[in-house]
Amino acid sequence: MRVVCIIPAFNEETTIGRIVSEALKHCDMVLVVDDDSQDSTVELSREAGATVIRHVLRLGTGGALSTGFRAALRADFEVFVTMDGDGQHNPNEIPIVLGPILKREADIVVGSRLLKQSESMPLFKRIGNRILSTVTSFASGTKITDSQSGFRVYQRKVLECAIHRTWDYRWASEILVKAAKANFRIKEVPITAIYLPKRQRGAGIKDGLKILHSMIRRRLEPTRFLQSKA
Amino acid sequence: MEPYAIAATALGAVMLLLTVRELVRRKKGLLQYSLWAMLWLAVILVGTVPQFYTALLFATQALGMYTPIHFVTTFSILLIFATMYLLAKRVAELNEKVNKVVQHMALNNVGGLDNVSDSRRRKE
Repeated sequence: MRVVCIIPAFNEETTIGRIVSEALKHCDMVLVVDDDSQDSTVELSREAGATVIRHVLRLGTGGALSTGFRAALRADFEVFVTMDGDGQHNPNEIPIVLGPILKREADIVVGSRLLKQSESMPLFKRIGNRILSTVTSFASGTKITDSQSGFRVYQRKVLECAIHRTWDYRWASEILVKAAKANFRIKEVPITAIYLPKRQRGAGIKDGLKILHSMIRRRLEPTRFLQSKA
Repeated sequence: MEPYAIAATALGAVMLLLTVRELVRRKKGLLQYSLWAMLWLAVILVGTVPQFYTALLFATQALGMYTPIHFVTTFSILLIFATMYLLAKRVAELNEKVNKVVQHMALNNVGGLDNVSDSRRRKE
């Protein structure tokens, strides 16, 4: 099974080299989608062995992942891993997240930061995450504990019909809801989350409200049949 | 002529000339030109024929407003809100188009995806 790891990155020169090197031990290719970084992210990614796609303007995490998915779908990869480039996720846990896919137990695997120790996650993020995960579970009809986790694995057939359309933080919930409505199997596995003291990223209150609104809307809209290719 | 009338007439005339120029240079469509031209003509009218203002009395009374100035200010504000809404909608549409162009450019410039072993071989 050919595996690609897609990493959206914006100004991650301090961590990207290490993440790419470690991810390459578990994947056939690492694709870094540079979201108009102003530092050495691109150069360091290439040095570490990644293939880099560059945005001329910043589109956000959702936009970068959308680009990464579309680029990777052009090749013959069967499994798509996504993870953050800021060091929050441990690339050596890729085999853990890949497990259910390789055993054919799931079509999407979400690395949940809340199934394992959650004390490392700042309290306000934990609360916000729980609220959004509850709403995403409601919208998708599937129990999800960490809907905002970017450490995921997808089978090719999922991305062929369920790529997200929103490019801000709503992508994380949108793709899960679309996949659930198309009857793809979603499973969660515990992963470790590393919160660096200076990390400022992640969805804020405004993004949270947008996600909330988006999920309520998706729950109320009629289920559209999505063709899934075997 | 009162000073405000001179100012209103001058402003209306200048803006009307600019609007006509944009129509001639095809930077504005006919419908857009017509709407703006009507507005600038109204401004010129207010300055040159103040009695024109009394023509609003009928509309003012029909709507239950106190004086014509209430009519003018209220509907000017409503028009500004509507214009702002349309502009915001247009900005959102343009933003979406820009995002698509950026993604399209990025996807057109990517290489090395045909050979899956590229990254591993490069690393070794």
